[in-house]
Amino acid sequence: MRSTRRLIFLSLLVAIGLGLGLFESMMPLPFIAPGAKLGLSNMVILITLVVFGGKDAFMVGVLKSLVLTLVTGSVTSLFYSFSGSVLSCLTMYLIYKYFSNIFSLIGVSIFGAMAHNFAQVLVACLIMNNFRIFSYLPILQLTSLFTGYFVGLTSRFAVNNLKKSFDKIDISL
Amino acid sequence: MTKGDKILIVTVIIINILALWFVRNAAFNYGEKYISIQVNGEEIKKITFDKNMVGKQIPIKTEYGYNLIEIGDEKVRVVEADCPDKLDVKQGYISRVGEVIVCLPNKLVIEIKGEAVETEIDGLSR
Repeated sequence: MRSTRRLIFLSLLVAIGLGLGLFESMMPLPFIAPGAKLGLSNMVILITLVVFGGKDAFMVGVLKSLVLTLVTGSVTSLFYSFSGSVLSCLTMYLIYKYFSNIFSLIGVSIFGAMAHNFAQVLVACLIMNNFRIFSYLPILQLTSLFTGYFVGLTSRFAVNNLKKSFDKIDISL
Repeated sequence: MTKGDKILIVTVIIINILALWFVRNAAFNYGEKYISIQVNGEEIKKITFDKNMVGKQIPIKTEYGYNLIEIGDEKVRVVEADCPDKLDVKQGYISRVGEVIVCLPNKLVIEIKGEAVETEIDGLSR
């Protein structure tokens, strides 16, 4: 019973991540830099990481990027999205586990966003066989600072509320 | 928002602005730069920058007049001219792609050009 409840919550989180990802792909940010995104679905991974733990966050991240490929139908973006998810999950997990006394959720989120960008630029370099793409990284990192900040802020509110709700309905962790 | 967050944000901003500055200076150097010397609209000479060329002076003598060009380290200037106003001499060195020295009386244009800058998209991912 408990694990079913947990499964349902994780599936819901994946679905929310999908919705956010789809919403985000419809809403480009042309005024900053092409390719820059809000990283809204990063929020879901961060929430899962805090509420459920690292393993589940990893699962949600991988599932989210896999299913998002099916939804948007662009296969090349699978490489970018998948590598970004995996690296950002890993980074956020490590930072959250070992440095959470130094960084709040905002810091964790910024680290995640930066890792995501780094992985994407790295994959772009490998695909296009052109290491000059790395010159694009600083602009992306600067935007990821802002998006990461707001994602972290939002996640903090969400996590506070979720923890209260979960105390009532006794979700096993 | 802890102290660590603030330190992180400031560090990231500083590092990235430095990186941007570095990229602007180093990464976009247009490949090969060369000096294009045009008289009356026609290119009469092409000089690529070279370590051996530093300090070399090249006289340009045409039916319209006389100019003496000096090549420096990745830059070029006109040192002597027989035109009346000597605006080209006063302009001094030019070094960036797209900069020009013009001597109207002698119909001389000295321009720094880069290898053809690609305008087509060289990669696209969807």
